[in-house]
Amino acid sequence: MAVTENQQLRDINADYTERYGFHDAENYLYKAPKGLSRELVEKISEFKSEPQWMREFRLKALDHFLARPQPTWGSPLLAEVDYDNIHYFVRASERAERSWDDVPDDVKKTFDRLGIPEAERKFLSGVGAQYESEVVYHQVREDLEQQGVIFMDMDSGLREHEDIVRQYFATVIPPNDNKLAALNSAVWSGGSFVYVPEGVHVEMPLQAYFRINTENMGQFERTLIIAEPGSYVHYVEGCTAPTYSSNSLHSAVVELIAKPGARIRYTTVQNWSTNVFNLVTKRAVAQEDATVEWVDCNLGSKLTMKYPSIYLMGERAHGEVLSIAFAGAGQHQDAGAKIIHAAPNTTSNIFAKSISKDGGRGSYRGLLEIAKGAHGAHSKVVCDALLLDDHSRSDTYPTIRIGEDDVNVAHEATVSKVGDDQLFYLMSHGISEEEASKLIVNGFIEPITKELPMEYAVEMNRLIELQMEGSIG
Amino acid sequence: MPEIIEVCPVEDLKPGERRLVEWEDLEIGVFNCGGTLYAIEDRCSHDNGPLAEGEFDEANCTVECPRHGSLFDIKTGQPKTLPAYVPVDTFPVIIEQQTIKLEVD
Repeated sequence: MAVTENQQLRDINADYTERYGFHDAENYLYKAPKGLSRELVEKISEFKSEPQWMREFRLKALDHFLARPQPTWGSPLLAEVDYDNIHYFVRASERAERSWDDVPDDVKKTFDRLGIPEAERKFLSGVGAQYESEVVYHQVREDLEQQGVIFMDMDSGLREHEDIVRQYFATVIPPNDNKLAALNSAVWSGGSFVYVPEGVHVEMPLQAYFRINTENMGQFERTLIIAEPGSYVHYVEGCTAPTYSSNSLHSAVVELIAKPGARIRYTTVQNWSTNVFNLVTKRAVAQEDATVEWVDCNLGSKLTMKYPSIYLMGERAHGEVLSIAFAGAGQHQDAGAKIIHAAPNTTSNIFAKSISKDGGRGSYRGLLEIAKGAHGAHSKVVCDALLLDDHSRSDTYPTIRIGEDDVNVAHEATVSKVGDDQLFYLMSHGISEEEASKLIVNGFIEPITKELPMEYAVEMNRLIELQMEGSIG
Repeated sequence: MPEIIEVCPVEDLKPGERRLVEWEDLEIGVFNCGGTLYAIEDRCSHDNGPLAEGEFDEANCTVECPRHGSLFDIKTGQPKTLPAYVPVDTFPVIIEQQTIKLEVD
């Protein structure tokens, strides 16, 4: 690599703040004081002019949240989450606009700087941009709209398609599923509502971009994707935040429903700043002959706890989770996957890779369950960890439950350290130590980045390179 | 071989009420949904926690698992929401001489 490119990379890497970590002045319409209360939950519902059933749903979820203790498994960092020191609702604009020109100037500048409008023009079917608690911009290509595709922010989805939302909302992840799902259910705001009619293929991805701006922010988007029989959709989400010295909290709930023969691919490139707790519940249902794929890349955040799940409920359904986690200094990526084979002849793959450096900790936490009666199920789980130095850490917590005899399950796990012999081999071919190390890491994650759309694969490789910069020598 | 066990007099289980009964190592919830009686196993199929003490919606004849929120149809034992996906056992309810009885096996 040319020196100039290296220099460029080093410059950007030296400061996340410069590229993603900047923040805007706060010209907000409303900013809730810190802390959570029944009054605030009622106020959020009132702000959004919600139907009574949703208001009651939120209040019941709040009771669940308050009644549950903070989890003690996963990571000691969880104890640092201070629910009283979070702004639970911040409104930056009146509504989700359909033209960037109508988005408030400051906010538009931020998304310009992040390259979202440009990406939309080039290779996306639709874009949603969420800033703090709510979506400020939403647009979907007209031809898709004419085919009946719905892609809007969740608040608008509830207003405009209440019957569909009420039928599916919280059926995959009920509010009492876990403490953080209860919190999201109480204060959810923004996120995407996607509905793809029978047989419709959305060829180019839909993208949502989530941005936190203010300090001690809590962002709680809620996403629901319904793919009717034989349809296809690829949804991509990305996220960044400014770097602050105190913590923010991002806790999403994402529900996917793939009807018979449908296929949903959901790609995440998570790059929160390292003061964000990222505690997310993502779960999918795949009915007969349906396919659900989670491509889950975790680069940022202080602590991520996220285990995308797939319930294979119909015969011959297929589930796939591809997961990359990159843990640097002070970071803990507790990522993984859960797949439940609840029907015969279902198939699944989990490929999880973690890279730890500079004292970072990467964990794989997974569940593979094959229910009684799910005969002919096939599953393969591969989790690999790469440690770049002696003071980083990798853990694997796999759980496999098999309730049926006629199944085929494979589990492979490896932990490797970038060895002196590998570096020496590459360096003997005239490659610098830093470049050699990057090559090894890129080779390690390549099976997953090749599944990303081209633009994201390039971005992902670039991000990994940035994270790797200066890590050796 | 099925066995018949007594629950309580009919007048002691009014619409919207429920009652727990035990038989050997089984615990069973008996529910009155708008005048019709149903009985399901008091064990969530998700993680084996107690189920019948959860929130009872008489109008929809459902009970919500208090541990992780799965909603069960009391008439059929089928879960209507995840994380449970396996139905729980149901038991025939018999009324004889103004007494509620269950057929258990």
